[in-house]
Amino acid sequence: METWRERISHFLFPAESDTWLAVLRLGLGLQVILYALSLQNDWTYLLTGTGNGLIGRNLGEAMLSLESHFVPRLGWLVTLGASFGLREETVLSIAWIFLLGAGCGLVIGLLCRSAAILAWFLHLCAAESGGFVSYGVDNFMTIGLFYLMLSPLPDRYSLDWQLRELGLKNPQLLGFWRRVLQLHLCVIYFFSGFTKCLGSGWWDGSNLWRALISPPSNVIAPELLVRWKYLFPVAGVFICILETGYPFLIWGRRTRKIWLICICGMHIAIGLTMGMYLFALVMIVLNAAAFGPSFVFHQSEPNRIRRAEPAMID
Amino acid sequence: MREKPVCFAWFVLHFLLITTFSCRETLWVVAQGQTIFPSFFNSFSQKAGTVMDAALGQHLAASNPTRQALTTYLHIAGIEKGYGYFAPNVPASYKVVFELHYPDGSVEYQLPHVHSAAAGLRLACLLDEIARTRHDTLREYLVKMLASSIWRDHPDVTAIRAVFGSISLPNINEFEHGKRESYEFLYAYDFSRSDKATELETP
Repeated sequence: METWRERISHFLFPAESDTWLAVLRLGLGLQVILYALSLQNDWTYLLTGTGNGLIGRNLGEAMLSLESHFVPRLGWLVTLGASFGLREETVLSIAWIFLLGAGCGLVIGLLCRSAAILAWFLHLCAAESGGFVSYGVDNFMTIGLFYLMLSPLPDRYSLDWQLRELGLKNPQLLGFWRRVLQLHLCVIYFFSGFTKCLGSGWWDGSNLWRALISPPSNVIAPELLVRWKYLFPVAGVFICILETGYPFLIWGRRTRKIWLICICGMHIAIGLTMGMYLFALVMIVLNAAAFGPSFVFHQSEPNRIRRAEPAMID
Repeated sequence: MREKPVCFAWFVLHFLLITTFSCRETLWVVAQGQTIFPSFFNSFSQKAGTVMDAALGQHLAASNPTRQALTTYLHIAGIEKGYGYFAPNVPASYKVVFELHYPDGSVEYQLPHVHSAAAGLRLACLLDEIARTRHDTLREYLVKMLASSIWRDHPDVTAIRAVFGSISLPNINEFEHGKRESYEFLYAYDFSRSDKATELETP
């Protein structure tokens, strides 16, 4: 009989292949590219500190300094650039180009670790300096890139692995980082769902209606939406159940597939009906990496590994 | 595997922080009285939230090294916020309209603008922040900065009035009976050219 220490160890350090890591790397690489391209024309306007932008980043960085002086920010890069005689706009443009380059590096798997660290750092700088114009997508990108940067890169689908003929990474370490991502998603969905359950508007569908007609997320005309009014209460309750039930039903073999499909379907719907494409993509990527490869790819290797050292819940 | 003890210790600390922050946000939501819970839960949630704040070092001085280290870690890991998106209810949307006054007496209306839909979502977040803040000075400063961005595009304007309001949305029944979205006045700020010259330039 297993002791509790062995049980925890088996749960936290299951042997895994690196397929999930390839999904995370590719997905977040694509996410970083789309993030950079979506802000291409507004990057300097949103993040400048010289008074030529929307509100400037100086106030956001000053407020960040009240919390901590050590959180990365674009001001550091601008100061560094100034010591080399570079103007602020030039530094911001270089930061944008490097962020795009890091995204491309992640997608093709070239210099994976460096690309992951660079993408995490530059995105974090932008998200923290532009704190007043940041939202959920920035939070989830930081979470995803933080785990990616710490995970045992490169995976065997990357260009790095092909070029350098590296050996396979420790399967237990791969399993640990996947478990961390899985558990974090469980916490995210549970609290998101539970807090929704506390609002009366999710039980009668009125919150869904409000979410869909509130600017700037009012992609679909209300005249069209009102034809589906009887579906709103059902959809509202369904979302509450889907999110709150996630940490309980995503683990079981029988329910995982359906829960994952439903959650990804929900995020696709959010992306299409509310115009939050980047938010939808990052959530789908995190879910696909955390719970996807085991049933999407049906590859033989992870199954072999699992048979050798079974995970506690699978 | 040599790294197991280190990984395990990090895991415990990391998830303790994630769950504590998530619980704290949920308690904050309950304490605000925005939920279906009876009102006697509100004061309990407030007290429990205060205890969690203390546990997270939020009652320490801002310059305290422990608090600084904790805050830095929370930010770099992206776990400094809870996950109550659109919860417990969908928050109100906000709008700011700038009334531009020209030397010849003419008046023009402008909205703050960005170049892409992705940045448009971020602008909406900024308006939410402006509405949410409890500090009038900060709110006025943020609106002033927005006005400043409009002023750059219209340098001949002599004065700007910024009108900040919430968007009042109809429910389904009201919409079916012909009611449409309307604006509820919240704040108005007047900025003159002298303001622009002296105050808008410096944070």
